[in-house]
Amino acid sequence: MFLAWNEMKKNKLRFTLIVGVLMLVSYLVFFLSGLATGLASLNREAVDKWGATAIILTEESDKSLPQSSLTTEELDAISENKTAILGQLNSIATNGEAKQNISLFGIDPEEFIMPDVTEGEVFSEVNEVIASDTLKEDGFKLGDELELSSTDEKLTIVGFTDSARFNAAPVLYGEIDTFHKIKFGEAATENETQINGIVVRAGDLSSISTSNEDLEIIEIETFIENLPGYTEQALTLNFMIYFLFAISSVIVAIFLYVLTVQKISMFGVMKAQGISNGYLSRSVIAQTFLLAFTGVVVGFALTLISGAFLPSAVPVSFDIFTMIIYGVVLITVAILGAVFSVLTIVKIDPLKAIGG
Amino acid sequence: MAILELNNVTKTFGTGHKQVDALKETNFSAEQGELIAVIGPSGSGKSTFLTIAGGLQTPSSGGVLVKNQDLANLNEKKRSKVRLKEIGFILQASNLVPFLNVDNQMKLLDNVKKDNMTTEELDALYDNLGIKDLRKKYPADLSGGERQRVAIAKALYSKPSILLADEPTASLDSEKAYEVMELLKKETKQNKTTTIVVTHDTRLIEYCDKVYEMTDGVLRLMEKSSVK
Ligand SMILES: Nc1ncnc2c1ncn2[C@@H]1O[C@H](COP(=O)(O)OP(=O)(O)OP(=O)(O)O)[C@@H](O)[C@H]1O
Ligand SMILES: [Mg+2]
Repeated sequence: MFLAWNEMKKNKLRFTLIVGVLMLVSYLVFFLSGLATGLASLNREAVDKWGATAIILTEESDKSLPQSSLTTEELDAISENKTAILGQLNSIATNGEAKQNISLFGIDPEEFIMPDVTEGEVFSEVNEVIASDTLKEDGFKLGDELELSSTDEKLTIVGFTDSARFNAAPVLYGEIDTFHKIKFGEAATENETQINGIVVRAGDLSSISTSNEDLEIIEIETFIENLPGYTEQALTLNFMIYFLFAISSVIVAIFLYVLTVQKISMFGVMKAQGISNGYLSRSVIAQTFLLAFTGVVVGFALTLISGAFLPSAVPVSFDIFTMIIYGVVLITVAILGAVFSVLTIVKIDPLKAIGG
Repeated sequence: MAILELNNVTKTFGTGHKQVDALKETNFSAEQGELIAVIGPSGSGKSTFLTIAGGLQTPSSGGVLVKNQDLANLNEKKRSKVRLKEIGFILQASNLVPFLNVDNQMKLLDNVKKDNMTTEELDALYDNLGIKDLRKKYPADLSGGERQRVAIAKALYSKPSILLADEPTASLDSEKAYEVMELLKKETKQNKTTTIVVTHDTRLIEYCDKVYEMTDGVLRLMEKSSVK
């Protein structure tokens, strides 16, 4: 530490530049991870709110909620009793000024997928809904009458709940009857048992079974991965993040290697004096750790600061736990990059270094 | 008791018609408190002799005894420990760490080795070498002579039993060179080290107790008066 610290103190500019590069790399990693989390929650938020184990859809719907169509009679065929019926449709809602894609969830308010109301009140009549509070940023407010693109029915926002989006569309929650009226219009009563899926909460996936062979029990995580575009997005961003890990390790390795090569004769002289490889290597590792740690911490702070100033349309959301893991990975990867320098030091022949 | 002994040491580089016998059957021994000069033409094997004596390379045959411990049989890691404990090097080129100030050059050794000089001893050494006011300076801000004196301080700081100097005065004018030799002599006597100085400059041998001449890998003890 003595050598590492004194060297950095003496060559401030050089080491500030290295910290700067590490900071920018970690900034990029953190930002991408924020974007990945943000985009993911854009798709899955509403599903995560259920706290469910599985969802039951028809086999032929191929894990797509809007394509699945079943009736409440199927409930009898399901082993677990902690169930919630769900009718879902996509539409475009307008309050006269603002216009927005929405996803309507028709539910039974007595069942567990009923969200907590954070503002206003629970729907008590048909055509009353509670809305994801992200709609407020789009210009919707309590008491708004909503026209929908697919029907003449009008919905009223009577309450808001915490950010709830499904496949990028803010969710409106209403009675299952509201859903029927919008979906089937005149024919609502004939179709009053129609739903899209049944959400199940159980201690364990294996305890859920159904006697109806046309139904498929889908684990929630699998269901989410099959949301349109979800897996592709996640893969793309994660690939970029992993790539950045590799790149940053190479960058650090190159920087440290160049620094080490410059100091070969100095290391040689110290080795001639009898200072061990272990001491010199530890010094390089300690230095790398300090540089990487500082870079990552500054990058972290910078990410949070710039995140606070971003327009809300940018879907970033920072998951501190993931960020800490990525930070630790970045530091580890930087230290791996220092291994090349350590190998170089070990190979230095003190005799050659001192000349003769 | 001899502090340093070389018994039938040879050193050969290369093989076949490229073979160089840098050292031929060398026998040498040095006592505590002796200041010894090794002179000889370029390429005669002086540095080879010095680096073998200091455990920086191993002989092709023969034994190198430092305080009766044979360096020839030790691996680099163990030799490195002997160097740290017993041997101080002063080199022609500066052997200072560029990003450490004079005080920290010494402190570095405290990080890797015990039983170095005490603060009082170091102060006295700085005084002797006339570098008291340079403690906070970095090597780049020192003159060649100052740097050489700091290098001497650094070599002495770990209280080595053997001090090996390869052309320590080469980068200095003769005035400064005499000064440095004077200092080496003083420190050798005061600290009872065994000091070997390799030099081209025959004028410097008047400071030394013994003079050896190296010619084509053969080391020979000389009468001081016979050196011109
Ligand atoms: N590593 C090596 N490989 C091959 N030959 C070497 C090596 N080191 C030294 N030699 C040869 O051994 C001989 C003695 O070299 P050495 O460096 O000991 O000379 P020197 O007396 O110190 O010369 P100078 O006064 O120029 O420093 C020279 O012929 C040199 O070329
Ligand atoms: Mg030489």
